[in-house]
Amino acid sequence: MANRRLSRRQLLRWTGAGAVAGVTGSFAAGCGAGAPEDDAVDSDSGSGGDSAGDTLTVYWNAGHAYQAYEDVLAEFEEEHGVTVNFQKYQWDDLRTRLLSDFASGNAPDLVEDAGWAQEFAISGEAMSLQKYIDQDGAGMGYPDDWQPTTLERVSYQGETYGIQLHLTAVLPFYNKAMFDAAGVQPPQTWDDLLEVAKELTGDGVYGIALNQDHSYAWSWMLQNGVRYYDPETEELMTPRDAAIEALQFQADLVHKHKVAPVPTTGTDYSGPQKLLSAERAAMILTGPWDLLPIEETSPDLELGIAPALRKEKQAAVQAGTSMFIPTNSPHPDLAWDLIKRLTALEVEEKATEETGMLMPRKSWAESSEVQGNERYAVFADAFPYSADYQEGLRLTGKSGEINELFGTLYQDVVMNNTPAEDAMETFISEGERVLAG
Amino acid sequence: MSRRYALTAYLFLLPAFAFFGLMYYTPIVNIIANSFRTGPRADTFTGLDNFTRVLSDQAVHNSFVITLIFGAGTTIGAIVIGLALALLVDKPLHGRVVFRAALLVPYLTSVAIVGLLWRNILDPQLGILNRVLDSAGLPTQAWLNTNPLATIIGVTLWMNVGYTMVLFLAGLQGIPDVYHEAATIDGANGRQRFWRITLPLLAPTTLFVSVMSVISGLQAFAQAYIITGGGPADRTDLYIFHVFNVAFSARDFGYASALSFLLLLVIIAFTVVQLRIGRRGEVQY
Repeated sequence: MANRRLSRRQLLRWTGAGAVAGVTGSFAAGCGAGAPEDDAVDSDSGSGGDSAGDTLTVYWNAGHAYQAYEDVLAEFEEEHGVTVNFQKYQWDDLRTRLLSDFASGNAPDLVEDAGWAQEFAISGEAMSLQKYIDQDGAGMGYPDDWQPTTLERVSYQGETYGIQLHLTAVLPFYNKAMFDAAGVQPPQTWDDLLEVAKELTGDGVYGIALNQDHSYAWSWMLQNGVRYYDPETEELMTPRDAAIEALQFQADLVHKHKVAPVPTTGTDYSGPQKLLSAERAAMILTGPWDLLPIEETSPDLELGIAPALRKEKQAAVQAGTSMFIPTNSPHPDLAWDLIKRLTALEVEEKATEETGMLMPRKSWAESSEVQGNERYAVFADAFPYSADYQEGLRLTGKSGEINELFGTLYQDVVMNNTPAEDAMETFISEGERVLAG
Repeated sequence: MSRRYALTAYLFLLPAFAFFGLMYYTPIVNIIANSFRTGPRADTFTGLDNFTRVLSDQAVHNSFVITLIFGAGTTIGAIVIGLALALLVDKPLHGRVVFRAALLVPYLTSVAIVGLLWRNILDPQLGILNRVLDSAGLPTQAWLNTNPLATIIGVTLWMNVGYTMVLFLAGLQGIPDVYHEAATIDGANGRQRFWRITLPLLAPTTLFVSVMSVISGLQAFAQAYIITGGGPADRTDLYIFHVFNVAFSARDFGYASALSFLLLLVIIAFTVVQLRIGRRGEVQY
């Protein structure tokens, strides 16, 4: 009996050891074989990325897979003899996929990002594009032809890590017919906005609809002169009183003046656009990404786009996407060539014509097509006063956590009607803890 | 002879060991190892820092409490409603097969689809529910803002009760009629038969449902990810959703691993306690 028990234990040990060896072996093999970085050594050591027959992996936002870009990819494939694996994701999924790739040591060749280039430059996962820019910048017009406000957000320690692909701004969109019927003009200041919103609210229509996504709140903060993070003093939300006032103003639109519905918690930022399209809201704050949905769902809606509001100053949230090449990209030279093609002026113009998306080149903004189009021209004129509200914060490496906290602050004030001053106190103490940690 | 049988048995088990080792235990070991590290790639050893940090992390405490409430709500609801429905469809009603199938359909539907469906139904401004309420002259709702946790518990129950109903139905049909007949002859009424015969004999089913519901409740993610985004102001910040944000938004894989490991311990503790208590309640006639 004792012998039998011993032998079973031994057998278990052998089985376990065999299983572990098998598992470890296959795991190691799985991590090693076929990993893109193996190709990187081959392709780049030899011919500088000339990899006929290879596959170039590109991660892209699902909403930006325009025909203009598909055409560029087709041409690129033909010229280089490669296949482009064009993978499209929603932003959250794209980020999850990318971080999983980085954690496992793999990487795609090119990534469209929602302002992550600096973050990944700090972590060493984005490649400096400086050598490419030094070589090709003059020919492609970089950085001279790019809006100046797009350069800082993709730079780290004096080098460029990303190239701006789209440039957008958050501006007031309004229903012209409703404004005409009420005999009011688009607002220019916060006071104007409140008066107009009161005038337009009624019969199931709200004067304005705020977004549940906290990034939209930054239009108000910037207009009130608020900085998210001051690198010199290392303080969040300065001046503090102005930040509280801007948040409270938004909450008051909802709870005190009742000219805006309570934004619905969730992950969808299209709520205000749907209300505008359904003629349940007379005005929203949004960007060019909502032009196509509005046109498709409400072709008869007379859409007007107004310049940004003014409080302490006229300001708008600058948004848009850029592209970066991961450090472990198997084909960085090819990826750079693709960046050049995707940001060519004629491609920008085709994409704008196709979807209404706005572009970062000065020559695009100055072109007769843009200046002659009432909608695009408002955005082009807004670029000089629009700002990247996270400037400085990203370089702390803590922007993800701070943005999470700001989301909680915004929802607490605007949805739960917690006084802005109280909620701000919590945000500041938590934010300081994060920055210190 | 018996040694050869054992050897054969273990050889047959070897593929299963390898599969479980690769697909389940390797990631668990990896997570435990990462929980002692920090940095964007979880590559800097930090000892027990991640675990001590949990003690003072109010956001984690908040999400843990929310998750306990969610787990309790979905478990109790699944048992009570699932049993009630099972008792209902166990009777020889007309069309009960269709009724059973209809109740099971939400469980067979992807949680992502269910989440999107209910998010659209419950939208205070454009949702179908408020249109129906409004046209009926009733006050409209904004439950996703006013009662978000109760709302996602309700959606989860809507999805899951069909499954628990099927489990309880199987349990009910496994109770021999002779017990009820004997009790009826002895003068027991319907309520007495339910409390003294049906419910005690359903104890194994109830135990299974409660263990599975608690585990899935503590691991719930999609409800927050798809329906509420964890809001408003973290009121539906379910634990796994919080861990997800720590990993992929704040990019702290080490801390996220420590939080995951702690949840594993909590789930094991809950399961052990439930099994011990549940087995005490089992009866045989």
